[in-house]
This record gives sequence, structure tokens and C-alpha cells, in this order.
Amino acid sequence: MSILQVRNLKVHFPVKGGLLRRTVDTMKAVDGISIDIKEGQTYGLVGESGSGKTTMGRSIIGLTDKTSGSILFKGVELKNKRKRSKKDLRDIQMIFQDPYSSLNPKKRVLDIVAEPLRNYEKNTKWTEKHKVEVLMDQIGLTPESIYKYPHEFSGGQRQRIGVARALALHPKLIIADEPVSALDVSVQAQVLNFLKEIQTNLHLTLLFISHDIGVVRHMCDRIGVMYKGRLVEEGSSNDIYHNPQHIYTKRLIAAVPDINPENREKHSKHRKKIREEYEQTYKDYFDDEGEVMDMISISKTHSAALQRKG
Amino acid sequence: MVNVQHKNLDDQAITSESTPGWKVVWREILYDKVSLISLILVVCIMIVVYGGTIVLEQDEIVRVDLFSIHAPPSSEFWLGTDYGGRDIFGQLIIGTRNSLSIGILVTLLSGVVGIIFGLASGYYGGFVDNVLMRIVDFFMFLPNLLIIIVFVAIVPDYSVITFALIMTIFQWMPIARMLRSKALQQRELQYVEASKTLGSSNLRVMFREVMPNLSSIIIVTMTLQLAMNIGIESGLSFLGFGLPESTPSLGTLVSYATNPATLESRWWIWLPASLLILILMLCVNNVGQAIKRATDARQRRV
Repeated sequence: MSILQVRNLKVHFPVKGGLLRRTVDTMKAVDGISIDIKEGQTYGLVGESGSGKTTMGRSIIGLTDKTSGSILFKGVELKNKRKRSKKDLRDIQMIFQDPYSSLNPKKRVLDIVAEPLRNYEKNTKWTEKHKVEVLMDQIGLTPESIYKYPHEFSGGQRQRIGVARALALHPKLIIADEPVSALDVSVQAQVLNFLKEIQTNLHLTLLFISHDIGVVRHMCDRIGVMYKGRLVEEGSSNDIYHNPQHIYTKRLIAAVPDINPENREKHSKHRKKIREEYEQTYKDYFDDEGEVMDMISISKTHSAALQRKG
Repeated sequence: MVNVQHKNLDDQAITSESTPGWKVVWREILYDKVSLISLILVVCIMIVVYGGTIVLEQDEIVRVDLFSIHAPPSSEFWLGTDYGGRDIFGQLIIGTRNSLSIGILVTLLSGVVGIIFGLASGYYGGFVDNVLMRIVDFFMFLPNLLIIIVFVAIVPDYSVITFALIMTIFQWMPIARMLRSKALQQRELQYVEASKTLGSSNLRVMFREVMPNLSSIIIVTMTLQLAMNIGIESGLSFLGFGLPESTPSLGTLVSYATNPATLESRWWIWLPASLLILILMLCVNNVGQAIKRATDARQRRV
């Protein structure tokens, strides 16, 4: 049933230095992560900058090579980028973080959106144009805009063009790497709603990478919380938000701003309490080297990196 | 609900028309009168030279005429004749054509080689970049004058084409280096990665995605290179390592001035060619500088 199974994925980068640029250390960007994504599900990956969530997405789509572990897509092992066949690439697409640099400024929207079609399908000029127009309609832009250049659009519109490009081949899995973090707050909600709507309409599987647990809760069925290249907690949206077990998850949730000014006092008190708890109980959640512990199961859907009892 | 939001977003669409690249260049040239005059001059010279060669026969011009040696300018020979009685004006037209052709040919050939080398090493980076750049370094270290002299001695049939090929061997490195540095920058942008995830091959990404973004730099470097190549060709011909006298060029005409008597009393042989070299190089350079300014918004004058 799982469309994507990641088993004990590790992505390590060598740190070069010293004499003759030897490898002096390894940077463990992703260090032994296992997740399962079911078909039609939205899986949210949250964590702070440098926690390895982007690297994780990039190694699934093949932009970064994995060091060890396995990635199974529809039960088939995905190899590293050079050995990956075109067919494997086709069913996984990506929405990029920065809509300003992810669209080639010298190409018209028609050419941008039609690029995947030209790579995989043989269409006549007319059917190709028609397909692009249908996609433009899906993302809510007028058909005339296919003759414009990317700089003629606003950030939100550009991001939606990026989505149209990813949708063009009807992929099974879409990896959205912080798709709204480069956008204006006012446009973020629109793009998110739009993504969610498209996801339900087309029955897509979505791997949603974000640093904002508030956004992820709004979007996702399941959430994985990453810290220092490891998962610290994983569970359904409800499990994570209403019953967080790991102190890092608790802090992340406490950091989500509350817009109601009446709750301001209460919220800041709560945040302080969590911080004290973090300082006092740090040793219980991380091992002697400050590394994240192994995951243990808490309920059927919920697991966290806690100390084994007894 | 969501559809309503889309409509609102489209109303906010930025509708301003962008000025296409060639229009910006044209505006810059129009504004800068020096480069406008330069462009007109270059175009006029090219029309006269390439038009003139349809009428004039190279073999006719270079035929020795013993009855009119060193004739001063007259109605028959507009710019007089050289020590073989050959018409200088005809040689000037043919010579300019040969010099220009070599310049353009060398620029295009070295452009193609330079673009391929530069893009490949910038785009792939790492090991490929290292290997390709060492090859570039190797060609930079070659003593080009020495090798050209040897080539001249070896190649039996010495013409515009062979000379252009030999010059290309020593001219493609600057473009390759320039493009490498720019391609290294472009490689980091997300549209390159996006293209890869959409299934485009490396070659396609290089030439269809990255190269259009470097087009302005390619045009600027090649225009400035053109001015330089005309100068280099004339210099080599002047030293006697360029074209033979049977294929006149601006350089061969100027090299007549190595004879003191010619230099002192027969100005009509070398002065027009020298002036033409000066004008051509200056003008092409001016146009190149204007294009360069137009491609960089911070340097633009309009």
C-alpha cells in the first residue's frame, strides 16, 4: 500500500580539509531515517534549518546521492542519480523552494511548462499547447499567459507555474520543498490551499517539507519531525500536535505564534515553561553525545525517539 | 472559494511589458553617439568591402604590372601602386575583406570551441572542470608566435581558411574561461536542478537552459574579440607570418612600410591601410562596449 518506503536512509557528506584535501570528517545530513508514505497521503517533514529535511527530499528525487539505505518507490528500488532510468524519474516530481530562481528567466511559460512533456511524450505543437493551456487553467492562470516570461508574474503565480510544471506528467509523488517559505505571508495561504485542493482532486501523494509545524499541521495527514538528521517523532497530525512526546516537538509547537492577542500572556508563559522543561530534561531525550535516540513505538500510529523504559 | 482567490490573484498580475534585449542594446547605441557613428562606419565599410569584391577580381589586382611601378595616386590608380605596379585601392578593398573575414571566422570558430569547453567545464564542475581547465592552461602556455611561424612553413596551401584555423587554436581560451565562470554561477540556480528533475539530459540543460542565460555575455565577448582578432591578423601579416602577398590583407599592405623609401616618400601604400585598421578596431570595440553596457543595468547610460 505504501507508495514510498524509505529504509534507514543515510546521506553523509565528506568534510574536506587539511593537507591534500583529505576527508577529515563526515557531515551526517541524514542519518538513518525510515518513513512510509501511503498513496494519496500528505506526509509532512518538519525541522529546523540544517536538520536534513531538504537533503532527504533531494535524495528521494535523485539530486543528491544517498550513502546507504534504500528508497523503494512502488516497491522498486531507486538507484542513485546516474543509474536512475528516465522512467523512474517521471513519476516523482518536485516543487522548488524559490519561485524566483526555479523558472528559467529566458523561457516563456509555454516552454517552461512543456519541458517535461517534450522530454517524455511526443506531441504535436497543437496538442502540446492544448495540454499546457489545460494546466494553466488548473492552476488558475489565463491561457494567454503562456506567452509571457516568468518575470511578468508575481511570486505566488510563479510558484503555481512551478506546480503546473510538476503536474504536467501526472506524477504519483510530488516533493514540495518549502514551497511557500519564499513567498509573502499573504500569498502563502493561497498557495497552500491551492496545493491542498489539487492534491485531493488529483489524488496525489505529497511529501511536504517545511520548517513551520503550523503549516504542516494544516496540510498533512502524517508528520515526521527531524532534528540533526534523525527523526525524533513521527505520527498522525493529531498525535504530534495534541500529544507530543519528544521535548523537541514540544518546543517546535510552542514556537508557533498565536495571533489572538488575548492569549499573548498565556502563550508566552507556556513557552517559558517548555523552555525550562527542555533545559531540565535534556539528558532524558538525548544520549551522552547529544545525539537523538532510536525511535520507539508509543501507539499504533505514533512513535518517538525516547529512552527505552527499564 | 479557491477559484475566487485565483481570480483576485490574476487581477494583481504584473502587466508591464518588458523591453526585449535587442531594443535595450539599440537604445544604448542610439544614446551614445560615438558608438552610433562607429556602428554606421563599420556597416559602411563592410558594405563597400564585400560589395567591392563582387566587382574586383583578386587575381587581377595582384598581377604585376611593370609599367606602373610606384605610381602616385591618379585617376587610373586611385591610391597609386606598389613596387609591383599593383593597384593599392583594389588591394585595400580585397585586403580589408580578407582581414575582416579572418577576424569574423576566427571569432566564430573560437566562439564555438570556447562555448563548448566553457559550458562543459562550468556545468559539470569537479573533475571534468579540472581536466578541461588544464587543457586551457596548456594552450595558454604555448608560444603562439613560434608555432604560427612553424605552421606557415609547413602548410603548403596558405589561404584565409587555413590562417583562420591556425589563429583559432590560440584564440578560444578567453571565451572558454569567461563562460566557465558564468556557467558555474548559473549551475547553482534552481532552474538547472528543476530541469534535471523534469528529465532533461545534461546536454539539453547546458545548451537549452544555461546557454540562453549567457547569450549577452557571449555576444559581448565575441564582439570585443572580433576587434582584437582583426588586430592580431594584421600584426601577424605585418611580421610576415600571415597571408602571402598573393592574398593581400591590411597587414601585408602595412608591411610595405618596412621599406624606408616607401615609409618616407610613398605614403599612399601604407597610410590608408593603417588608418583603416585603426578605424575598424576602434569602431568594433566601441560597438562592443556599448553592447556590454546595455547588458549590465548598472552600467547603462539610458
